[in-house]
Amino acid sequence: MGEILLEARGLSKGFPGVWEHLILDHLDFDVRAGEVHTLLGENGAGKTVIANILSGYYDKTEGEVLIRGNPVNLTSPRDGLAHGIAMVHQELMLVPAFTVAQNVMVGLKAPALSFGLAQVERRLDELVVRYGLQVDPRARVEDLSAGEQQRVEILKVLFHEPQVLLLDEPTSLLTPGEADQLFVVLRAMADEGKGIVFISHKMREVFAVSDRVTVLKLGKMQGTCHISETTEDELTRRTFGETVPDYMERPAVSSDAPAIEVRELVPKGLGSKAPATGMSFRLRRGEILGLAGVAGNGQTELIEAITGLVPPSGGEVWILGEDLTGKTPRAFIEKGVAHIPERRREIGIVEQMFVAENVALKDYRKTPFSKKTVMNQSEITTHAQKIVERFNALVPDLWQTECRILSGGNIQRLILGRETWRKPPVIIASHPTEGLDAKAIRHTWELFLELREQGSGILLVSEDLDEIMSLSDRIGVIFEGAIVGIVEGRGADRELLGHWMAGTTSEAA
Amino acid sequence: MELAHFWGILFISLHAMVPITLAAIGETIEESAGLFNIGLEGILLLGALAGALGAQASGSAIIGLMTGITIGAAVGLIFGVISTTLRGSQLISGVGINLFALGFVALMLTVMGAPGFHSVARDVQVPLIHLGVGSLSPLVIVTVILAVAVWWLLRRTQLGIWIRAVGENPAAADVAGLRVNALRLGAAIAAGAFAGLAGAYLSVDWFGAVTKEITAGRGFIALAIVVFSGLNPLLALLGGFIFGFFDGLATWVATYPGVKDIIPWQFVAMAPYIVTLAVVAGVIGRVKFPKALGVPYMRE
Amino acid sequence: MLPSSWRRRFNPIAESLLAGLIGLIIGGFIMLAFGYNPISAYRSLFFGSFGSTYSWAESLANATPLILTALTFAIAMRGGLFNIGAEGQLYVGALAAVAVSLMHLPSPFNLVVSLLAAMVAGMIWSLPVALLKLGRGVHEVISTIMFNWIAHFFAFYLIANVLTDPKRGERTISIVESARLTRILPMATLNSGILISLITVAVILFFLWRTSAGFEVRAAGYNQEASHYAGISLRKQVLRVFLIGGAIAGLAGAVQVMGRPPYYAVMSGLPQLVNLGFDGIGVAMIGRNHPIGIVFAAIFFGGLMTGGRIMQFDPGVPFELVRVIEGVIIIALAVPELRRLISRFRRKRKHEN
Repeated sequence: MGEILLEARGLSKGFPGVWEHLILDHLDFDVRAGEVHTLLGENGAGKTVIANILSGYYDKTEGEVLIRGNPVNLTSPRDGLAHGIAMVHQELMLVPAFTVAQNVMVGLKAPALSFGLAQVERRLDELVVRYGLQVDPRARVEDLSAGEQQRVEILKVLFHEPQVLLLDEPTSLLTPGEADQLFVVLRAMADEGKGIVFISHKMREVFAVSDRVTVLKLGKMQGTCHISETTEDELTRRTFGETVPDYMERPAVSSDAPAIEVRELVPKGLGSKAPATGMSFRLRRGEILGLAGVAGNGQTELIEAITGLVPPSGGEVWILGEDLTGKTPRAFIEKGVAHIPERRREIGIVEQMFVAENVALKDYRKTPFSKKTVMNQSEITTHAQKIVERFNALVPDLWQTECRILSGGNIQRLILGRETWRKPPVIIASHPTEGLDAKAIRHTWELFLELREQGSGILLVSEDLDEIMSLSDRIGVIFEGAIVGIVEGRGADRELLGHWMAGTTSEAA
Repeated sequence: MELAHFWGILFISLHAMVPITLAAIGETIEESAGLFNIGLEGILLLGALAGALGAQASGSAIIGLMTGITIGAAVGLIFGVISTTLRGSQLISGVGINLFALGFVALMLTVMGAPGFHSVARDVQVPLIHLGVGSLSPLVIVTVILAVAVWWLLRRTQLGIWIRAVGENPAAADVAGLRVNALRLGAAIAAGAFAGLAGAYLSVDWFGAVTKEITAGRGFIALAIVVFSGLNPLLALLGGFIFGFFDGLATWVATYPGVKDIIPWQFVAMAPYIVTLAVVAGVIGRVKFPKALGVPYMRE
Repeated sequence: MLPSSWRRRFNPIAESLLAGLIGLIIGGFIMLAFGYNPISAYRSLFFGSFGSTYSWAESLANATPLILTALTFAIAMRGGLFNIGAEGQLYVGALAAVAVSLMHLPSPFNLVVSLLAAMVAGMIWSLPVALLKLGRGVHEVISTIMFNWIAHFFAFYLIANVLTDPKRGERTISIVESARLTRILPMATLNSGILISLITVAVILFFLWRTSAGFEVRAAGYNQEASHYAGISLRKQVLRVFLIGGAIAGLAGAVQVMGRPPYYAVMSGLPQLVNLGFDGIGVAMIGRNHPIGIVFAAIFFGGLMTGGRIMQFDPGVPFELVRVIEGVIIIALAVPELRRLISRFRRKRKHEN
């Protein structure tokens, strides 16, 4: 490994008022030429923030950033690029209506009236060959798959020949096969003398690609070491602080009554990912069906179809024995479907409304909360108070504070309360514990098991394979818009699931 | 209908096309960058006033037009600053501009003498090009040229890519190193300048006067044309001509003996607005707007 | 400092007051530029607005229709929509009220039917806007403006050809005596219409915050995706907001005609109706789209209009300046957190000194 290309000393970042602790707490970190240095940590550890500071997108509150030993003050991502530092964000930062080449042109330093499209396309052709990234520079981004779009992001950045490349969870949209291809590319770049910072929370990737590993937890350094000096268990312990929970014991599924039945379902919005035949599966009352899969394989579209948010293109959705295909969300809610959404702030609540109003967001029409369209304020208040207490939500008051200022965890508690208090027969939970602390996660799992025992059928969609394996009676894997297989939850073979998630077949199958 | 009538209607249509198309072209740049300016109507009005005053004060029509452009650009600047740096509501500031313009122009007209009306001296108006069949204002030609120029700017230059990127995905543009607010501000100033020119054309060229009602909703029709054109200035030219045609037709009908007894003038006057409505209703489904239109951008 | 709940309620009021101040200051500068004395002008303005019982009555009379047109805009804003069609909706409402007078119904039906007819007319005028938005995705800004202009010319037509007063060609027939709104003060324009406006305010207040329909409108206005997720029909809210808004605007037109001596008719050129819709938008904004704020803002505007006429007499500042001030106030309101900007600016200046 070579000289230190990029270094942070005593780096701190705080978001006053929004977070209780410093996002980054006096960190020291460096990247050397020729290495792939992985930043490991769970959600909220600060990995993205430090990368954003190092690339110039965010400002730092304290500390120093040095490039090749010289302190710099990066004011913008363009400034970072000028110094040879480039970042590929987890969120795609593309203009869908533009072609790949046009997207690259956005970041070009060129005279305003020039038009170098042809040159850009040619240069991209070269880069595609050199790094083995399969992308057509003349294709429109909105026509590409998520995996291809991820590759476009990388290509966009390679165009500027950076010395240091920071990648934030680059495999979040890739299958394990595509991820391996990416690792080969990263290795090639490192061998050229570049410094790569690789952010991840997936243990497998860390061991597949890293030279060194740094663990972050809640903004604090937990240690840096060479990958050969550590093990998966040790890193897991440092990152998560706890051992991975095992399968939670529970009485067997007793009923056979259907909660959700999906027949040949083709949800809308799958685009090029749409498979030839639709999905089919069944969720029983009193059962937890876990749906595993890498994000972007159709989970969002499936949920939209079975909650009424977006009518499907084809197939049928049966809830509790009734055909509700294509009906409005209201019909699903009235039938008894609870939906804990992935995007809790954006659609789970109306941020500008008060706590009591958000607790009543789906029940406001029903007695006793309203009668003949007139709302009963005191009933709503009493109910909201009960929910807040039972679910331990920390709220300053019920009718004065906008939910906007609540933390993500508290918002999720309110949503859980609102969705489950009626003991609904069908629950669709999408990433329900993302961003929550360990205690809250535990409580949520226990709540789900309790509801399961009382007869709710729960569809659990999550990227956290550990969560799925601990909670589910049965586990299904979704890959490219199709259900690849469903197995028993108890004693499920993690490796088999991983293969299904990757779209490959294991030798054992 | 005789040939003379045909030329008459054509020329009126072309002249009526100018103000709407100019305003629409400018707004096309602005909406490509993600800003939505309801205040075009107000800028038109202020441009008309500025144009008339500038022309009279200097004795030159060209200076009058330049004054209109400058004032329009200044208002565009104010709108731009409020919408970008100050992250203000574009709809509210646009409405404010319209109200302000209404009041200010009425105020000035009262102060200057005859409340509600002020004519611009003949010799200061833009000279027309006399063709055999009628007289054409040079601004018609200027409008066509500008339409092509702005089309080229948006579709075939680096700057066009930057402007459109900022309108589609300002976060991506920011990360790529573009100065989002600066680009949007520039677009707002440009839109203001175009609308100011359009307004000055109304007073210094076409009508030769300034009244409170001189704009007659043309600013809003320009907004409708931007929708109709799908942010393509060449189609805005077409749309402006179609509207101008109905506008011209209305004038012709109102004065042609015989017809005006059959069709009450009020219904003919309604026609352009009904047509605009029909066109916009018919076309909307197919049009794609920049994703970030109307939303102020903030980092983090 | 004040408890946070107080501060939350106080902030929008403070911002409106600040914007009002900025408007008056800039108005003052313009006056100076034209050679008038702003101090004496503002003195005339304020005494003219609220200096005597008579001027109070006139100001309230001016506020009456503004409260209603402001509510039209405000309800739409609460639903996340931009209804600037009150102008056209009130024209047709006024004419509908006149048309009912043609029917010679017995009183008191006369009055009630006139008001109802006006509300229905307003709804008929706003319904197409909602349908175009739902069916074809037409942005309501464009369609309401088009309908305003269509109503404008349609009104001209009706005044000149259908509802004309046979004796006086330049206006419509007058509203029958039995259908007129009673005056509250002799010699002043103030009539029972103000009660209609205030009752409407109470109704809308109740509607928005105490009914499930109002809850849906507000939720949809804040966040469409979340409302859809919660089972709220977004399409229904569009219809609701435009129909209610149209009805109220129609009512405004009726109240204007049925309450304005000496003729109780619609004049050609629509002098008593024109711009009530647009001024209503300004009132709604200054009133922060809240029914109670709208009442205060409408009285403020109404006062400006009354005082503006006095200001024109002495010291001779043209009445149109009032609209200029309104425009500046609204532009100032467009900037969120205006107060914070100004206090930050003042803090910076203090640091530099």
